[in-house]
Amino acid sequence: MSTASGTGRKGILLDTTRCVGCGACYQACKEQNQLPKTADSFLQDNLSANTFTVVNNRSGRFVRRMCMHCEEPTCASVCPVGALQKTASGAVVYAKEKCIGCRYCMQACPFGIPKYEWESTFPYVRKCDMCSGRQAKGLATACATACPTGATQFGDREQLIGEAKQRMAANPGRYSGHIFGLEEVGGTSVMVISDVSAAQLGYPDNLGKEPLPQLTWNVLEKIPKAVSFGGVLLGGIWWITKRRQEVAKAEGKLRRELPKREEL
Amino acid sequence: MKTKLFSMSRISVWHAVLVGILGAGLYSTYVRFFHGLGASTALRDGFPWGIWIGFDVMCGVALAAGGFTISAAVYVFHADRFKPIIRPTILTAFLGYLLVCVGLMFDLGHPWRIWHAIVMWNPHSVMFEVAWCVMLYSTVLALEFSPIFFEGVGWKKAADAVHQLIVPLVILGVLLSMLHQSSLGTLFLILPTKLHPLWYSPILPIFFFISAIALGCGMTILESFLSYRAFRKRIEMHILSDLGKVMAVALMLYLFVKYLDLSSRGVLGLAFQPTYEGRMFLFEMALGVVAPLILLLINRVRRDEFGLFAIACMVVLGTVTNRLNVATTGLESYAGQYFPSWMELSITAMIVSVGFVAFGLAVKYLPVFPKEELEAESRLPVPLLPFVDALARPLGRPVMTVFVATVVLVIAMSTLAYSGLLARKQVTAEPPVQQPDISAGLAEMNFREVLITKGSESPGQVTFNHATHVDMEKPACADCHSQRFRILKTTALPAKVDMHDDQHCGSCHDGKKTSFNVSEDCETCHSGQ
Repeated sequence: MSTASGTGRKGILLDTTRCVGCGACYQACKEQNQLPKTADSFLQDNLSANTFTVVNNRSGRFVRRMCMHCEEPTCASVCPVGALQKTASGAVVYAKEKCIGCRYCMQACPFGIPKYEWESTFPYVRKCDMCSGRQAKGLATACATACPTGATQFGDREQLIGEAKQRMAANPGRYSGHIFGLEEVGGTSVMVISDVSAAQLGYPDNLGKEPLPQLTWNVLEKIPKAVSFGGVLLGGIWWITKRRQEVAKAEGKLRRELPKREEL
Repeated sequence: MKTKLFSMSRISVWHAVLVGILGAGLYSTYVRFFHGLGASTALRDGFPWGIWIGFDVMCGVALAAGGFTISAAVYVFHADRFKPIIRPTILTAFLGYLLVCVGLMFDLGHPWRIWHAIVMWNPHSVMFEVAWCVMLYSTVLALEFSPIFFEGVGWKKAADAVHQLIVPLVILGVLLSMLHQSSLGTLFLILPTKLHPLWYSPILPIFFFISAIALGCGMTILESFLSYRAFRKRIEMHILSDLGKVMAVALMLYLFVKYLDLSSRGVLGLAFQPTYEGRMFLFEMALGVVAPLILLLINRVRRDEFGLFAIACMVVLGTVTNRLNVATTGLESYAGQYFPSWMELSITAMIVSVGFVAFGLAVKYLPVFPKEELEAESRLPVPLLPFVDALARPLGRPVMTVFVATVVLVIAMSTLAYSGLLARKQVTAEPPVQQPDISAGLAEMNFREVLITKGSESPGQVTFNHATHVDMEKPACADCHSQRFRILKTTALPAKVDMHDDQHCGSCHDGKKTSFNVSEDCETCHSGQ
């Protein structure tokens, strides 16, 4: 088990073939974040404002679900006040004092991770922060620390990618060969390897390689140009139509005056 | 101004309805702010935006489109014939934006932090753009509306001063409004995997913009008819007929681009499949685009008071359906069904009612409609609804037939949509639970031995061995590592604790279950020095 060291981006590697479904990660997360009990069995629990990770049985595999900590996080991109940020260590963290509660992050996250305190009159968004507090002390995340089998492993993202490839090379029959999160939506800090496809594990399999923030930025970046162009265009139309009106007025006046002159 | 807001016979009914709506709305407001969004709405983690965004915000902004369409026509394009209706459209736009702002106050988790968007910038967020558009355009609309107010209270100089600025103000307003209309579509561009392909399109902002122009015309027509009815202030029919032409062009463009978009993405066929989404899409297109477009192309209908009124109703309802479809229906295939709670509905109804009352009061006390027309019209008897009136004339009947046909279409579509919804519910069958193979994981299992601090009266050191305590068929770390044995700090057990009690070793080692009793043989555990 590695601990946070160096300046590189951190990550978490999830290996479903190693998971025995003991729930240590679930329990460690609850303990670390001081979250109340939400279900009799972690296998039946769902992500919520009080549950940042779960272990579920999907297609006969124990699969963890948690914030993927995207390399280019959609949630951080859509937040109008910048309450969500990607830190240098790779964690996507939330500054509750900034949040206005628009919930665009919840709407936009392709993994459906941010959850809301619906029962509170002063509600905040809740999600995994990749144990930023522990990382600052040089510790691994609570879930990785608790995992007895190495199904959840914390370390430098680059090293974890190497580790994943090594495991797949050493045991080709045990893995599908795909590292989920290596390239999806531009890459994620949390990556998953398994013997079955991401779709069978309940992860979205329709994500492209392009980071989602690009979809809105393509439009937003055109705004300054569009506004200046539109302003000039509207100003021009205003000037031309006004001039045309003045000309028409003058011509009408002329036409009315002309016969008078002819009479003279 | 001698006209009354409502004639006596209508007072009791409408006032009772209004009081009922306000009462329900105020109660819901109390629940919303004192017990939270969970207690008052049908919103949930998978469905974070509901009717307050889909209707109050999206439609409020769309309904204000008349303001920018008409003010651009009059001040920028110098189409002076639209001048008589510019004030009611600006008033509606202003009220529409107030609806948006009030709706947002209910929807935001921390509404009192709305000012954060001014100081905490994130230009990458569409919501940031939306927030600025709302703030700036509300200000511009307030300024555009201010001369009406100033004239009403007799501050001529102030009205003149604002009027000097009207052209740059209108140009700024048109730009902001165009940005805002399209940005509401841009909001959903980031949901390519969640929004149903019938609505998700890379050119959503363009669709929102074009439909806003059609809707702007429709709202203006509707308003002038409603004010005609309530206040006997009418707009020249030929102006409204011209608006109908603008609307026809916008609808035609919309239909054409929509066809290109759907066919190029290869999802045109989805519209005709018997799914909930397909039906709702056809509903929106038939009601808001196709039917009104066909009617508009018939000169006789477009020049008829009732015909135009019916068309405007269709366009407004169709566009509202479109906005709701994008914001809610289109997400249901991903996030599950959403139907607003009665409290969400009552708050929306309350905000809309207040808007109507505000419109009525403004028309009554401020110079919203041109004075000459008012005096000329006030001698006429109060007409009934235009369509009742229209029925008596031979021209009205074909139009009425079309209208009835549309209503039948709407009902038929709703029924089909509902049947699609029912069909979807039945599909969800639970797949059989397959027990995972954990042999590979168990091989990696790393058991840790835990040295338990020796107490003063202890007969010997205890070393806890994980390997002998874990069921290798079904390892369940969380069972023991809940509250008592903390998983992250296993070595930091309290110094003075009786490990024999029912909170620790004794909780399992009680001799009753599969394990021996803690009071039996000390040596078994206390084997160390």
